[in-house]
Amino acid sequence: MTESALPTTAETERRPRTRFWHDLAFWGLLPSRLLMGFALILPIFIIAAVSVATRGAYGGFTWDFNLAGYTQILFNEGWTGELEFTPQYLLIIIRTFLLAGATTLICLAFAVPVAYFISRQPPGRKAILVYLVTLPFWVSMILRVYAWMIILGKDGTLPNLLEILGFQPGMSFMFNDGATLTAMVYTAMPLMVLPVFASIEKLDGTLIEASHDLYGNRWVTLRRVILPLTAPGITAGAILVFVPALGAVLEPTLMGGGKQMMMGSLIQLQFGGGRNWPFGAAIAMTLMALVMIFLIATALRAARREAMS
Amino acid sequence: MKTYFAATALALCFATGAQAAGDLNIYAWAESISPALIEKFSKENDVKVNVDSFTSNEDLLTKLQAGSSGYDIATPSQHFLRVMIDQGIIENFGASKLKAYENIEEKWRNQWWDETQDYSIPLAYGTAGFVVNTDQYKGPTDSFKYFFEPEGELKGKIALLSYPDEVIGAAQLYLGVPFCSEDQAEMKKVLDLLMAQKPSVAAYSSDNIASRLASGEVSAHFWWDGDSLRARKAGSPVSLAMTKEGLVGWMDSYVVPKGAPNRDNAVKFVEFMSTLENATEQMNFYSHSSPMKVIQEKVVNTKETAPELYPEVPITFSRTCSAAAQDLVTRVWTQLLQ
Repeated sequence: MTESALPTTAETERRPRTRFWHDLAFWGLLPSRLLMGFALILPIFIIAAVSVATRGAYGGFTWDFNLAGYTQILFNEGWTGELEFTPQYLLIIIRTFLLAGATTLICLAFAVPVAYFISRQPPGRKAILVYLVTLPFWVSMILRVYAWMIILGKDGTLPNLLEILGFQPGMSFMFNDGATLTAMVYTAMPLMVLPVFASIEKLDGTLIEASHDLYGNRWVTLRRVILPLTAPGITAGAILVFVPALGAVLEPTLMGGGKQMMMGSLIQLQFGGGRNWPFGAAIAMTLMALVMIFLIATALRAARREAMS
Repeated sequence: MKTYFAATALALCFATGAQAAGDLNIYAWAESISPALIEKFSKENDVKVNVDSFTSNEDLLTKLQAGSSGYDIATPSQHFLRVMIDQGIIENFGASKLKAYENIEEKWRNQWWDETQDYSIPLAYGTAGFVVNTDQYKGPTDSFKYFFEPEGELKGKIALLSYPDEVIGAAQLYLGVPFCSEDQAEMKKVLDLLMAQKPSVAAYSSDNIASRLASGEVSAHFWWDGDSLRARKAGSPVSLAMTKEGLVGWMDSYVVPKGAPNRDNAVKFVEFMSTLENATEQMNFYSHSSPMKVIQEKVVNTKETAPELYPEVPITFSRTCSAAAQDLVTRVWTQLLQ
């Protein structure tokens, strides 16, 4: 401030001081750098390295460069012994994306009204409701999935209720895509509600009134006012739900009966029973690349929207 | 920076290496080792025993291959034990010179999976086949036909394991295809059989089998003999099918992973579990057959009370497959679940 008015003296004075500050920043940030390096970046490099290694006969790998892991995603030896195009892994990838997408959309459809409702409550009740939304997080995820098995399974809560209402007894809703989706939506819901709530809460009520004053009906108000203003929260929630859903193993296995593989279970099989670590690592890298594309596209769209407004 | 890095690295070494002299880390099949015996061992030797569990040989192998698991004892089945010896990921702990070796039933010593018996001491053996809920299914069970080509009431009420290991073995027994076949045409037949069965399958899952079967969620489940016995004794209406094609056999053994931090305690534990008295108690707890010499009068699960453990149909032990054969198994499984 005053220093900028006296550049020559300030320059000589500032140098040792900036170095001190610089050093402090460096040492202060060191723990986070180490954490990032060892817990995030290094493992990714290990996965990348394993994905181009050569598989060992009984699992494990040797450090010989080999792209078999990646070609195997699309081309495999057929039952006639020739290399042919095999869409099976592609189908698993597409199915995983559809499931994660469906989870995100259903979560969104529930989360927006819930968040809107909570945000319009008096402060005390609001705090309690937000607390209630986070409550499931206090219970282990595997227990939450087992709870759904008890609700949907044979002699479970829902079939018994339907029996009382006069439906056919002994029904079971387990082991299908609907059961998988139910559990996934349930476990992911708080991750969607909280960011959406955060941005809806900041929404200025007078803007909605203004929209109505300008003859905007409810639909127009939602589309032109509420959604654009809450877009950051919706985007954050969508990412928080969509990305972990891509790697889901528990719900498809326990609720869906493991009849149709997802990318998570495919990777698990390659590291376990399949004993093909490089292929498992290659699928993991592919999954990560696809997620990155999704995230970058979202970030670009957000940046463009910001530039427009 | 360098010194800090070194200090951190050093601290990390101490953190992982600082095992008290009295520790023992066991990695075993879920609920396979008698907690009463573990407590007894822990008290007698002043050792803190930690038990973690796995539900498939594949999980165990992967964990040991990844290195420095920190476990002192693991309990693989025979075909995986062979792989572990060949890969050099378990220790030669001189098992054949232990007292425990003398207590192995003669017919179970020096098998193909550990010819010199230096790497392992067996703890249990048994079979895998399909188990039915007898309240829900009253039909015949003397062949795998009823399981792999179900008709009527079993349709849609069948469950298999989530791993190919024993399931493919059973399908091979049914089709007369040898274990570890490298013949593509033969394995294609296995795939065709499982594909045709799939519409009748409710789940491929290795978790929660007892309650799924007892509740009637499914009427037939691929399972192990001792588990079926335990469920039946606990009051569940279940029965192990004695299939004329035979049953898939397995034998689990104690091994010591390479680099086990408490090797001495591990050997002590193996000796402890293998005495006549304790082997008997362990057998009664686990409800599987014991390859060890036991006190016959104290055995709870006799031929009369536990026919599950004394099958009269042939038993074929799973073998260690070549990489080519293993690839075919994985390919069948992936195509089945694609």
